[in-house]
Amino acid sequence: MASKKSETADQTLYAAHKKIYPREVSGRFARLRVIAFISLLGIYYVTPLLRWDGRQALLFDLPERKFYLFGLTLWPQDFIYLAALLIMAGLALFFFTALLGRVWCGYACPQTVWTEAYLWMERKIEGNRSRRMKLDKAPTSAAKIRTKVIKHTVWILFSLWTGFTFVAYFTPIDELANKLVTASLGPWETFWILFYSFATYGNAGFMREQVCLYMCPYARFQSAMFDSDTLIVAYHPERGEPRGSRRRGTDPGEQGLGDCIDCNVCVQVCPTGIDIREGLQYECIACSACIDACDDIMDKMEYPRGLIRYTTENSAEGKSQHILRPRILVYASILLILTAILLTHLLQRIPLELDVIRDRNTLYRETRDGLIENVYTLKILNMDSRAHRYTLSADGIDGLQLVLDKPEIEVPGGTVFELIARIQADEYNMENRSETITFHLQAQDANHLKTSEEARFVGPGKG
Amino acid sequence: MAGPFPDRIPGIQQAISVLWPSFMTAIAATGLFFSAFDPQELVPFNLDIEVSRVAAYSIGFFIFWLLAIVSSIGTLYFTISNCRFLNKQNQ
Repeated sequence: MASKKSETADQTLYAAHKKIYPREVSGRFARLRVIAFISLLGIYYVTPLLRWDGRQALLFDLPERKFYLFGLTLWPQDFIYLAALLIMAGLALFFFTALLGRVWCGYACPQTVWTEAYLWMERKIEGNRSRRMKLDKAPTSAAKIRTKVIKHTVWILFSLWTGFTFVAYFTPIDELANKLVTASLGPWETFWILFYSFATYGNAGFMREQVCLYMCPYARFQSAMFDSDTLIVAYHPERGEPRGSRRRGTDPGEQGLGDCIDCNVCVQVCPTGIDIREGLQYECIACSACIDACDDIMDKMEYPRGLIRYTTENSAEGKSQHILRPRILVYASILLILTAILLTHLLQRIPLELDVIRDRNTLYRETRDGLIENVYTLKILNMDSRAHRYTLSADGIDGLQLVLDKPEIEVPGGTVFELIARIQADEYNMENRSETITFHLQAQDANHLKTSEEARFVGPGKG
Repeated sequence: MAGPFPDRIPGIQQAISVLWPSFMTAIAATGLFFSAFDPQELVPFNLDIEVSRVAAYSIGFFIFWLLAIVSSIGTLYFTISNCRFLNKQNQ
């Protein structure tokens, strides 16, 4: 019986999206955001151009399976460091959310940063909010088409630059640029540049706030980090209500009005299209545009600023505020402990690895001198950035001898060196059929560069 | 009263709910998998093919995405059919 009604209700839940035309804002927080956006965009586009030790400073070299982070080179076996870094980034997000609310969303999230950049281009080309709305409503004309073509061309060029930069984090940028100008980009490089460009164009040009509303996982669970002392953007209803328009210079108290003149500017500037006066909403990305907009109106009306302001639930209710509270302390201490563990591990990390693979074809063989011989393939990974010469030794059985197929073990930085090692031992010195022996590898020019690896040595056995 | 489980979800919403979570899962799976295994040392099904690492990563990513898409479609399908059932009960 109620099904007809519920259907329509459900459908409006997912109603066709109404395009939002955020009005431009200026003010203290807008300035702060612009500084954040320019710095972050700058970091993104400039980082691949930085050099370190004659190579790209930050390069996740997927083809070579090596990650270069300035002076540090990470190999696939160092995956744990990256995992730890990601966990720390997540925890830092929790920490800052508990303290400052959705400051990430408003100031630092790539979705926000690129959306604002695309909005800025749109504003430069199509004009301010009312002009943009008028243009979209206007019938098709040569001038309209021209404006739209210019806007999309600029957007697409910017997207392509973004996509190119993205791929440059994974393949060296000089190589990539070279391939681009000589039109010899590989199929997958081309594909990922276009893929990322398209994603940027779509997300920043069209999807915008819908990414935050429908796709962002953080938006769904960030409220779990909130408490009554978390910084939020809020309207002061006791001061503002009852809202209503009034003539300038008249006393609102006489007319029974609050400070809100119901000018709707806070709604017009909102990039997610909400009315902050309705209270805290999950759509609010705490971009503080409404604060700046309202402060501006308050100045014009000669009312005190802060009808919409950064506050906390406790402070808005006149209760005392606590910055240090269990939640903050817990997040901070976990973060500190993890950082300490990671740093200690990184500092103690020995950029050297030895892999020993026993020859699987023959268990052992007897030499002409009557010794038992086992053959091993050794892989030496020099994960340091410079070359080293190493000394290899082995022990585990009395009087064992180590015979190498190469006289010198000199391994260039960041490479794998393979060699064949033969271990010869007298079977009378073996207590069991199979003994554990240990290979020791020591760099000749650096005491701390050493590692050991165990292996099995098999003989005929006694009796 | 509106059912708590709307079963008329527009196509675009359904597409996003399948494609987007599976995309994120595929990124994580690709990262984990290829950190552990070097594609140049893997010979799937004894196939005698030469592919560059970047190609292998990309193909691997799409295989993971496809698998996760299948899983997400399953979730969507069962959620919707459960909702139909609950909606019927509610009426």
